[in-house]
Amino acid sequence: MLRPATRPALAATRQVRQCAARFLSSPAAPDTSSSNINDPSTTPKTNPPPPPPNSKSSNTASKGKKPLTAEQRAFLSSALRVNQAGELAATLIYTGQTPPLVNRDPSLRPLMKHMYDQEAAHLRTFNDLIYRHRVRPTAMYPIWSVMASGLGWGTAMLGKEAAMACTEAVETEIGGHYNAQIRKLLEMVSEWEAEGYEVGAEFRDLINTLRRIRDEELEHLDHAVEHDAQKAEPHWLLTGVIRAGCRGAIWVSERV
Amino acid sequence: MVARPALRRAIPSTLRSTSSKLLQPVSRSFSTTLQTQNQNKPNNSVPEYAIPDPARPTHFGFETVTEAEKRERVAGVFTSVAESYDRMNDLMSFGWHRVWKDHFVSSLNPGFSPLTSSSDPRAPQHILDIAGGTGDIAFRMLHTAHILNGNPDVRVTISDINPAMLTVGKQRSASLPASQQAALSFLEANAEDLTQTKPLGANQVGYSPTTGVPDESVDLYTVAFGIRNFSNIPAALREAYRVLKPGGVFACLEFSKADKHPLFNSIYKQWSFSAIPLIGQLVAGDRDSYQYLVESIERFPSQEDFRDMIVDAGFVVGGRGYEDLTGGVAAIHKGMKPRRK
Amino acid sequence: MRPSPLPLRRAARQILSSSSPSAIRATAPAVPTARRSLNTSSTQTGSDCTCGNCIRRPQIQKLSKQQQQQRQQQQQVQKQQRSSYHSYDHPSSPASFTPVEESILSAAYQHVPSHGFTSSALAAGARDAGYLDISPTILPEGAFTLIRYHMVKQREGLAARARELFGGEGHVGARPGFSEREIMGRVEALMWERLLGNKEVIGRWQEALAIMAQPSYVPPSLKELAMLSDEILFLAGDSSVDPSWYTKRASLSTIYAAAELFMTNDHSPEFMDTRAFLNRRLREVNEVGGVFRNLREWVGFTATAGVNVLRSKGVRI
Repeated sequence: MLRPATRPALAATRQVRQCAARFLSSPAAPDTSSSNINDPSTTPKTNPPPPPPNSKSSNTASKGKKPLTAEQRAFLSSALRVNQAGELAATLIYTGQTPPLVNRDPSLRPLMKHMYDQEAAHLRTFNDLIYRHRVRPTAMYPIWSVMASGLGWGTAMLGKEAAMACTEAVETEIGGHYNAQIRKLLEMVSEWEAEGYEVGAEFRDLINTLRRIRDEELEHLDHAVEHDAQKAEPHWLLTGVIRAGCRGAIWVSERV
Repeated sequence: MVARPALRRAIPSTLRSTSSKLLQPVSRSFSTTLQTQNQNKPNNSVPEYAIPDPARPTHFGFETVTEAEKRERVAGVFTSVAESYDRMNDLMSFGWHRVWKDHFVSSLNPGFSPLTSSSDPRAPQHILDIAGGTGDIAFRMLHTAHILNGNPDVRVTISDINPAMLTVGKQRSASLPASQQAALSFLEANAEDLTQTKPLGANQVGYSPTTGVPDESVDLYTVAFGIRNFSNIPAALREAYRVLKPGGVFACLEFSKADKHPLFNSIYKQWSFSAIPLIGQLVAGDRDSYQYLVESIERFPSQEDFRDMIVDAGFVVGGRGYEDLTGGVAAIHKGMKPRRK
Repeated sequence: MRPSPLPLRRAARQILSSSSPSAIRATAPAVPTARRSLNTSSTQTGSDCTCGNCIRRPQIQKLSKQQQQQRQQQQQVQKQQRSSYHSYDHPSSPASFTPVEESILSAAYQHVPSHGFTSSALAAGARDAGYLDISPTILPEGAFTLIRYHMVKQREGLAARARELFGGEGHVGARPGFSEREIMGRVEALMWERLLGNKEVIGRWQEALAIMAQPSYVPPSLKELAMLSDEILFLAGDSSVDPSWYTKRASLSTIYAAAELFMTNDHSPEFMDTRAFLNRRLREVNEVGGVFRNLREWVGFTATAGVNVLRSKGVRI
């Protein structure tokens, strides 16, 4: 009864991980800057420093940097907006989950704190990026806040397995979503390089930040599966509903 | 304007009497293109496609014909519909083409000068109204310039390839005030080559081509509901560029694409493709001409593509370069010939 | 005798089907029917067409350098209409107007004090710039373009004024940690700078506001106002990225619009009355904002306290 139902969700999880692995090892991807993705010290944690105005002035031979097109700007705006909304929701989910979960099983306290701290750092990163690049935050901010808190608290009240299934579903969606963004950014960068333009540190940093955050989200996914997320009852319904909700929220946040 | 219905009643009889004589000049005006295309000034920047070539394929509605053939067949369409031309426009635009034309002319504000004191001379202007046979645009221009802007130094030249249409305009102009009639002239010319023109009614036997429209002699070049019938639009745009003064304005009013509003567009398409040829058959007994009208509108480039063609001819445009009218059923394109560097 | 178009068409079709291929390179559907062709709009610019009336891809690639520049300027101006992701490494060109528009508008702007925001100023400017009286008619919005020119130039000039006012520190890095009070002071200073930008044209600004209130110009005017508020808050170092992003911009826009209107009737020396008006409005909104902030904090505190009390009673939430 349990097994066939969980299979599709497992398959989806696997798909995201494979996708991520492909990016880590892909020789085709113009991955020149990130020497080590998993080493946080090489990538800026938060607040990527503003590039010095005259950096790379030695590269006068190349065509310089290509201005962003309207479509690229639109894509970047909606990407940053939806990422901020997503991380806001993630912190609130963990905030809502922690008290009931820790109440039942105090051994979960370090894990929950670890995951929450990471999400809070992600949120700070995107808050900074949103401010820095003058992107409008989502107009649905208050609604996402309420819904995410409710989701976190509600699943935690259903039990540890349901809470972990919630984490599993959310992080699966988010991991796939980040992968799509990274793919698009890499396409942009390789297009510029093919045309002989320079690529600013801004974009290399952004790609590295997204990769680091994506890996941390997938790490949460691992934790959730380790902590019996698959034993939630009914797992397929829970993850199916939450993942559909995530996709809907992403769709809306990209637009408003 | 008041006298127009009476005029319209008078037109068919004159047309019928002239139509047999018209054949000769029409065919001759075709042949001038052949003779003159080699006389074009050598200009390396003119791409090959912008040089008129009677043998090059172009569109006649949804058919592909040669440029020379299109010229002949368009002439056929307009000779046969000259008398019902207003009705055609009414059908295609639900009567709105009058509003569009008013807006077109008022947005160009011909004859306007910045000087406020009445003692200052107003700057003279020369307006060339291409494909303006029936005079719709030209008469509005004169009204705005002479009466609203009080500038009597505005001349309008109506040019059309089709003498039948010009005759209609000439007839109508009889009801204008004498001062406005004096400011009007009629010219039979091919818009793709304005170096060879002849005034309407010139003696056809011993007639020798005039020097045509000189370079940089025109302040405002207008073409309303005409450019889609041209055999070679890039050539016409380059010719417009040649005759305009630096700072002169090219302005075009033409049916366009309403595809920004899908629902409205589908209704409009149904109307134009199903109803209008049928109405043409019933009302004018001439389905083919109306079918051509509808197809030529469909064939005409989108607003953006046509804007790019204008820019390619050397004009500069303001803003996005066009203005949609009634959701894009028609559009006004404007371009300015830049100053010499 | 003149052949009617009907036989002409038939004859043309026969020619089409029988003539030598050298005369007609592209073959066409011999009998185009209305039904079949309902959806041909996408095919009309197809690459197989060789006539001059179609935009062909090879042509576009063969554009001269000047034409490419013109197209790029065109696209950049269109791009500027939307405000979104602001890149530091790959900045989009700040051009809000094409060079020709700029030359006419900047010359016309000199005539605004005497002629107002009118076609007269535009035509006079066109003459000064070496163009014709008719030339400004290519500006799509007529006199409103001149008003927009004023607003855009003033807004774009604010960044330089901010550097003069607040010293050289730019706000392009991490979020500056200004206090609410500091930000308020900077907002006030920037708004005052922007209002003073209207000083030269203040006698004509009521006319301009009347033009901006015309239905077709309301959306671009509001958009410009929103962009001004965004610029002021960004330059002031306000780093809110939550719903207050919206409320701050909305209240700032309201205040600015009111102060601008007030200023057109202000005859006090150096517009002191306007400055006082501006300060009052900003203080009011700050107080209202403070009330809401306090309310939110109080609700949050009470809720947390309530949950904690319940938990201490053994309720498992």
